[in-house]
Amino acid sequence: MARVVVTGVGVVTGAVTGGRERVRAFLASSGGPALSVPGSALQGLVDETETRRLSRVCQLSVAAARIALADAGLGPGAGLGLVLGAEFGDVRSTREFVDGYLGRGPAGLSPLLFPNTVMNTMAAATAIAVTARELSLTLNAPTVAGELAIARAAAAVRSGRVAAVLAGGVDEIDPFLAEILAEAGAVRETRGEGAGFVVLESRDGAEARGARVFGEIAGAAWRALRARPYGVGHGAGSRALAAALHEAGVAPNDLGRVWISASGDGPRDRWEQAILEKALQPARPQQTALVPRVGRHSGLGALAVAAAALDDSARPALVHAIARGGTHVALVVRGQGEPGSQRVSGHPQ
Amino acid sequence: MRPVAVTGLGVVSPFGTGVKAYWNGLSAGVCAIRPATLVDTEGFRCRIAAEVPDGIGGSPRRSRADRLALAAAREALEDAGLSRDERVEAALVVGAVGGGMLEAEAWYWERFRGRRPASRLAPGATLPFAHVEALGNALGLEGPRETLVTACSSGAASLALAADLIADGVVTAALAGGVDALTRVCFMGFNALKLLSAEPCRPFDRDRRGMSIGEGAAFVVLEDLERARAREARIYAALAGHGMTTDAYHVTSPHPEGEGMVRAMKAALARGRIAPAAVGYANAHGTATPQNDRIEARAIRAVFGAERLLISSTKSMIGHTMAAAGALEAVATVLTLVHEVVPPTAGLDTPDPDVAFDCVPRVAREAAVEYAISNSFGFGGQNVTLLFGRA
Amino acid sequence: MDPKEILDELKAILVTRLKFDPCRAGDMALETPLPKGIEGSIGLDSLDFIELSIAIEERFGIVMDESQDLTAHFRSFETLCRFIARKAEAA
Repeated sequence: MARVVVTGVGVVTGAVTGGRERVRAFLASSGGPALSVPGSALQGLVDETETRRLSRVCQLSVAAARIALADAGLGPGAGLGLVLGAEFGDVRSTREFVDGYLGRGPAGLSPLLFPNTVMNTMAAATAIAVTARELSLTLNAPTVAGELAIARAAAAVRSGRVAAVLAGGVDEIDPFLAEILAEAGAVRETRGEGAGFVVLESRDGAEARGARVFGEIAGAAWRALRARPYGVGHGAGSRALAAALHEAGVAPNDLGRVWISASGDGPRDRWEQAILEKALQPARPQQTALVPRVGRHSGLGALAVAAAALDDSARPALVHAIARGGTHVALVVRGQGEPGSQRVSGHPQ
Repeated sequence: MRPVAVTGLGVVSPFGTGVKAYWNGLSAGVCAIRPATLVDTEGFRCRIAAEVPDGIGGSPRRSRADRLALAAAREALEDAGLSRDERVEAALVVGAVGGGMLEAEAWYWERFRGRRPASRLAPGATLPFAHVEALGNALGLEGPRETLVTACSSGAASLALAADLIADGVVTAALAGGVDALTRVCFMGFNALKLLSAEPCRPFDRDRRGMSIGEGAAFVVLEDLERARAREARIYAALAGHGMTTDAYHVTSPHPEGEGMVRAMKAALARGRIAPAAVGYANAHGTATPQNDRIEARAIRAVFGAERLLISSTKSMIGHTMAAAGALEAVATVLTLVHEVVPPTAGLDTPDPDVAFDCVPRVAREAAVEYAISNSFGFGGQNVTLLFGRA
Repeated sequence: MDPKEILDELKAILVTRLKFDPCRAGDMALETPLPKGIEGSIGLDSLDFIELSIAIEERFGIVMDESQDLTAHFRSFETLCRFIARKAEAA
């Protein structure tokens, strides 16, 4: 079983766009929520044909993936996989496609838009843009898709199925989607948009190429907690947390910080607290939520993992995410502040 | 890595509910592609599809796709005879594309026309992840839960990911499969791409004119082989290997040399440590588009050599069932090993001279096959090969 | 219709349906090649060509037979305009 290290990060969000240095600066700063990605964030990250052909959510994904690979010092090509989490997919293009038919009949249907109605469109565009030719997966889940994608990608690297993988996710706030969620009485939570990826590699592979390692995924697990669809459950006994801590060889008392998924959805946020309390007691590590600053979206998982890795704390961190319906993810991240952590030099960028 | 067994099967297909109806249809070479009724076909060149007949059951408050998935998943779990405790720990991996889109469309159509839609699903119920939420809750599955979208290879990829969880020792059992109900978006989209045939599709025929679409669901129970033996479960087959690759070439066109397909097939063989010569049957992706069939045949030839292998396309009978296709075809491949009968390619009259294989035209063939592969390819160049071996 | 008129219609299609920048479309001339991979072309791929052919069918009231190899007609604006003019006359 290989050790899984973090060698790059790229995020495109309302509050921060860039690689590890930008993320570090963002974490050192403070500020209110910045939920939408400004058009200028994509400048220089997508080419002319991509600007014409790719939908906005695909462009967000491509841009974040390019930043992450540059941050990792990895060129396109052999041995690269992609695991992308998304909650909603390309709602904007799907609606545009359907409206073409409803407005003008069969002649109004656009073949160019149709592939965007399938949720793997962001992964397809990204795999082409960065030449990711190994496995490429799109995982669809409510609110925790980014964390889930990183956990799945870490498992693939650990068992040697892929040498390097871009893992993270993307979501877009489409005005129509926001309207539907509001009409349906969706819970009050802080939703944002954006894309984020980390680059995960086996430690041996990263060392061999002289990569700038800045963290390690020491444990990754995902399970379901009993809950009605889209509902909040009552049970707090977490198998995901136990499995991730066990894999990492970390006791609750060792944890320096928990990056929680609290998003302003009251019942779900209280459920998360009950889960953490039951799994970690009597330890009560410090908690930090990123949602108040960038909103909840599938790019957040990569930002949380990078934040945990960049933390100067000398102790491992937990990235924790629970969704309505019960999908539950736990990642144990060892950061560069830990004594004995592997910092490989070289590759100035 | 721990070897993986197939111990339960469940299917809802255009032949009706149940594995038995499915195999009866396939082995008889029956084509279930008929005039479409679930979507408005007015003004489209293709007006046919392979729809699941009435009688799938389930609450009308659920989406059609959820009901298809529940029926197939229940059959697979009962077939495997997993206890309640074993279910709690089991993984659930579902390949899906449309989710509750069929119902969401009905609602949106009304809304667009300025009418007040009667009712609608919760927004979450329209997305692909709706199925794992419904199945996990109804069937008491609390292990790792994933919804996978790799377009037309989603169903096959779900088996591959579930097998990885077992091979890595994360779980000892998993329910994995794919589901899609027919949707307007899918029907209209493939029409717009001019990929649909006006007549039932004819894979590998010289005069093929494109694909037909369908709907359905299929699930399998995968288990750690040792544990399945220990509990004396019925073992249908071994999932001996799988390969997942990406063309990274074009969003709708496969790589012209089938480069990614070749890598997927080779990866499956390498993972199972199986020589190409041990494989006797390939359940092809076989969509009946001129492009796919020719490139796939070339790719299979590059891996296995010419002429020896039997090839057939399940889609010739039930159309392309989207995210369900890879799972339905995996079940067809497993049943081929179990019954020692290769299902045919229906509608194949004049073999394409560019396809250098025996594509089992119209009539099933008795053949005791040791190993068989099932290929699935999706938009975005998402290639999956599953390799099954006789139990 | 003369080729110049058809060219203007095609440019309009490129802007509305294929999402080309209007300034970029303004620079396109009759001899500009269409398929990607050719020096000086506007970089259309197979999916662009399907979109384009559907829009042409709708705009000019002609039918493209996709079982025929139409590659030669889609080489440049010039070949495409000539093809459309011939088809439209026959229709």
